[in-house]
Amino acid sequence: MHHFTRQPQNDDHRLTRLDARVKLLSALALLVMVISCRGVAFPLLVAGVCGGICLSLGVRPRVLALRFAEPLFIAGMVLLLKLFFTGTVPLFSFTIAGWEVVGHRDGLMEGVRIASRIAGAVTVVAAIGFATPFTDLMGALAWLRVPKGFIEVALFAWRYLFVLLDDAQVVYAAQKNRLGYAGYRRGLRSFGTLAGALVIKAFDNSQNITTAMVQRGYDGTMPLLRHKPFRCGEVMVALLVVVGMGFIWSL
Amino acid sequence: MLWANPMVTYNKRKRFSSVALWLCGGLLLFGSTPAYAMHIAEGILPFPWAALWFAVAVPFVALGIKRLNMLAKDDLSFKPLVGLMAAVVFIISCMPIPVPTAGTCSHPCGTGIAAILVGPFVSVLISGVALLIQALFLAHGGLSTWGADVVSMGVVGSFTGWFVFRGLRTLGASLGVAGFFAGLLADWATYATTSVELASGIRGSEPFLPLFWKILLAFIPTQLPLGLLEGAMTAGMVVLLYRKRPDLLVKMRVITEKEMTAHV
Repeated sequence: MHHFTRQPQNDDHRLTRLDARVKLLSALALLVMVISCRGVAFPLLVAGVCGGICLSLGVRPRVLALRFAEPLFIAGMVLLLKLFFTGTVPLFSFTIAGWEVVGHRDGLMEGVRIASRIAGAVTVVAAIGFATPFTDLMGALAWLRVPKGFIEVALFAWRYLFVLLDDAQVVYAAQKNRLGYAGYRRGLRSFGTLAGALVIKAFDNSQNITTAMVQRGYDGTMPLLRHKPFRCGEVMVALLVVVGMGFIWSL
Repeated sequence: MLWANPMVTYNKRKRFSSVALWLCGGLLLFGSTPAYAMHIAEGILPFPWAALWFAVAVPFVALGIKRLNMLAKDDLSFKPLVGLMAAVVFIISCMPIPVPTAGTCSHPCGTGIAAILVGPFVSVLISGVALLIQALFLAHGGLSTWGADVVSMGVVGSFTGWFVFRGLRTLGASLGVAGFFAGLLADWATYATTSVELASGIRGSEPFLPLFWKILLAFIPTQLPLGLLEGAMTAGMVVLLYRKRPDLLVKMRVITEKEMTAHV
């Protein structure tokens, strides 16, 4: 699960240095275009461009494949579901164990449309995820007036996610070495113990964190990132890209 | 005695599991639904549906933030605690659980236990944060489907888990039984809602109900056992907390001080 910890992949990349607010707004605009698109070409174009950006950021193809495995599997399943279970115009048919299975042309088209939308949307979010540190993204969300409480909880979660993850891995390894996952019943009991142990650790850690933070002046609110002013060049380039993509989308 | 060696038994089970996995792989491939995972993937929902579910989710998240700020005024440790609970929910919902009937692994949602411990509104906030991190860095769920995922996993899952737990406790059920049914029904309610969201989002010009039933039925091979497993896991967690740290359950108002004294 640690394949998402190395963010960003390439600190020197131009996209990594770009203001997080500009990146987030551009990505959201692209995302809206992709999910409101009625064709196939535009989402696939976005998927190609953003996939290329991920690779240029230095993301290894294996990590990219891992990241995309689940959504692409889902895209494939949607395609099959729409092909065989929806539509009215038969495209082909075959028989399995006396059952006639019919693929529909309109179902296939609809399935391809949704699958391309998934591919496009997933690559947009992956690109911004690889190119922006989490804290910068949270700063950008705060600038977009997302409530402070939400941002603070997200920052706490992100900060202590890896601490708890390490704890979970230690407990899991210890359980596994003692055959704690041999058989479903034992596995389930071990999993329950592991999850319970994590909750106890979360409680204890939260008390320790609060004590440490209060000693450093914590009064219930956390100072968030202060943003530098927008750089004109960055905004202009982002606007050009979004307007250009918008033009292609409208075609 | 060879047959008594636990490693040999373990290896036999492992071989059996591998064969079962391969046999059931085909079943999964042709019998699974688009939302094979817990969350609806990025891009599945068209813009109007994504916007609608977002609009439904936002007020609940806002109420969760309001409740969090209220509780944090009295106890400064509450915000860090909720942050860490979000991390726990994130980790739990990333952990694979073997599903025997499908020969695959799926994962629990963890919102049942979060709702039991911190209440349904704060649990919605926790699931919102966990879903955001998963969408950005694991491609589980998505930004465009964040609203739909928060509604199914956060709102429906949390409220179902909380009401079931509180209801059964009021009727005199033990912690384990109440925890089991809270986890079980929270999981199933989440998947029923996911089926509604998926059917409405991908139906195109098809009628809603037939597609909804198809998706719901296709969930059954994995989610029926997974719900039972999540119920058992939630019960295990609540019982473990009661045995090891009943003071935490008192602090979160899950049990009374009287019950803790009875335990000690």
